[in-house]
Amino acid sequence: MSVRETVLNIFPSKYMRPRLRLGVLLLLAVALAACGGVAGGSWAGVSSSQSGETIYVAYDRSVVALNAASGAVLWEYPDSENRDAQFFAVPVADNGSVYVGDYKGRLHAIDAESGARQWIYEPERKTLIGPLSPDPADRVISGVALSPELAFFGLGSRNVVAVSRGDASRVWTFETGHGVWGTPLYLDAETSPRGEPVLLVTSLDHKLYALDPATGDLFWSVNLGGAAPGDMLYDADRQRVYVGTFGAGVAAVDLVEGRVVGRFQTEEWVWSSPALADDQLFIGDLGGNLYAVTIGGDGFSQNWKVTLTQEAIRGTPLVADDLVIVGARDGYIYAVNRASGAEAWKKHVEGKVLTELVSVPAEDENGPVTVVAGTDNRDSLIVALNVATGERDWTYANK
Amino acid sequence: MFDLIINPFITILLFLYKILGGNVVLAIVVFTVLVRLATMPLTLKQQRSTKAMQELQPELKRIQEKYKNDREKAAQAQMELYRQYGVNPLAGCLPLLIQFPILIGLYRAIVATLAATPLELLDLSGRLWVPALASEVPLQNKFLWLNLAVPDPLYVLPVLVVVTTWLQQKLLMPASASSGGSEKSDQAAAMSRQMMTIMPLMFGIFSLSFASGLSIYFIASNLIGIAQYALMGKIGWQSVSGRAPAEAEAKGLPRTAEADPVADEVAEDAVQAKPKRGTGKAARAQQKQAQPKKPAPKPNTSSAAPIVKPKRSGIRDTRLERSQSKSKAKS
Repeated sequence: MSVRETVLNIFPSKYMRPRLRLGVLLLLAVALAACGGVAGGSWAGVSSSQSGETIYVAYDRSVVALNAASGAVLWEYPDSENRDAQFFAVPVADNGSVYVGDYKGRLHAIDAESGARQWIYEPERKTLIGPLSPDPADRVISGVALSPELAFFGLGSRNVVAVSRGDASRVWTFETGHGVWGTPLYLDAETSPRGEPVLLVTSLDHKLYALDPATGDLFWSVNLGGAAPGDMLYDADRQRVYVGTFGAGVAAVDLVEGRVVGRFQTEEWVWSSPALADDQLFIGDLGGNLYAVTIGGDGFSQNWKVTLTQEAIRGTPLVADDLVIVGARDGYIYAVNRASGAEAWKKHVEGKVLTELVSVPAEDENGPVTVVAGTDNRDSLIVALNVATGERDWTYANK
Repeated sequence: MFDLIINPFITILLFLYKILGGNVVLAIVVFTVLVRLATMPLTLKQQRSTKAMQELQPELKRIQEKYKNDREKAAQAQMELYRQYGVNPLAGCLPLLIQFPILIGLYRAIVATLAATPLELLDLSGRLWVPALASEVPLQNKFLWLNLAVPDPLYVLPVLVVVTTWLQQKLLMPASASSGGSEKSDQAAAMSRQMMTIMPLMFGIFSLSFASGLSIYFIASNLIGIAQYALMGKIGWQSVSGRAPAEAEAKGLPRTAEADPVADEVAEDAVQAKPKRGTGKAARAQQKQAQPKKPAPKPNTSSAAPIVKPKRSGIRDTRLERSQSKSKAKS
């Protein structure tokens, strides 16, 4: 009643006709509902082909393939008549196909050369009456892990799904306690410390799961101490994975013992995995700090720490020669000296940099290496910078 | 600016979630109770103001009818009436203006802690006043069939939002505003009835798009509001059934324009006694004398109803009389 009376006081009838008032209120309701609802709310998914010649970008209603050298559009998926879902997960390219999930819980397999659909997995949904279903469409926020037969991805609310790469049928589902936003990690029998394939999954329920990729059965799980929304880094030499967490720094998990064997505590939360180079981990946290940490036998020791900005460093740092490059929410891309942490250059781009950074190798031995990053500005959705100088090579606008 | 509201809300919500055994719905309900308790002084003030406005409605209607061809005089008469009874027509706005940022802050707190989207979860970092509460992030999003971070797929919650919002409005509305009969032609009453339909629908439309955790907040807030007013004895159960009460007559309030000639005369005098502003004591004294006498307040038969007192009463300026009598004596 208080709202009603107040509106009557604010809009007395002598100043506004009743029907006009009602119309304004209804329009306001619809506009607020449109603006305030649960929408994309994420950044672009950026990755490259195995050769590094193509950049894949998933953003809003489409997935785009770009020439890594020039930024020219190679193809766009789906065609304009079939854009009924949103894409924000990181596309994964493998063996002529690109795999990416959408915000309707589906997994798309796209021909890497032409952009044509190869197949699409659609989740089954129980319905009650007509279109009403107690199982709402869940979003695919994570990237995709691939074994020779299966594709594995996480769902935004909970669970990991394995889908056959042959016929797009669901093979199994593993239930987690909360959303799986980080890309699962598949280790084949040669790589896995167990001598048999294993699928590693991090979840917002604070756990790391080790699963049998063929059946989805649980081998073991471990509590990381904090939510783990990002990817993990596999250290084959030490048979460990490193996982960034909320509130518990970076955890080192031994894959043989199935437990946390070390932890590096950061000042702020860590979203993504660290980068590894020469026994050094490079970690960015959501407080804008960048750390260089040496991995020792008895744990971690910090080499240096620099505070580049007060805004979040969301993505994994990129190591390129003697530089470490990160993007931040303040709209800057920073490059620091790997040995000392001293700033080498920083460049402002036209939007917040929250995506992963992708390295594009030089075309010849002496050529420059390019770093590709995504922003939240459609006019500069993807920017490519020369690693050595930070100068802009090209920009892709998503219209 | 909103960080001053959002950050403590996030911290409190996470703290409640922790001490209530990880039950999100319970945490939201308890949070709603706390917000309601904290804003109760504002709510009471708003109620008093609204009540006073309602009790002046018959006089206002008479003024509008009397000066329907003269907006300016009608406005003057209205303002004079408000001044005499110490009523501020905009006093009902302030609590709502304060509640809006609270609602926005609570919305941001709920969607951030439920990890509704990556951007919302990213925004959560650095907002916790108690860093140890990071272990509770994100909140468990499953409740019955619901994923609390996304809209209800079965539309049960939006329907409950509409129903509880309507019910709260209906129960808290005074019967005089809700009854038809002779007031059918009254534009304000018609608007009131339309608003009572539109407002619940508005909130229902919101909840179709918002995270269902927020819909739970709306429903809890409405039900707690009803319980709150019921405990204060301000619920009008008759409103739900549409019965016209005899409360207005029992309180001595006039039901028709002819029933209160005193108030009518007050308003008319207020319009006519708008003299040219003169200077000097005599002029001011004359102006004061020309002002109409304030009527005595009507007897209030309900202890729950507020007493509307005129701002000034019983003051009579005798300086002019004395100066006139002196000058007569000299002559």
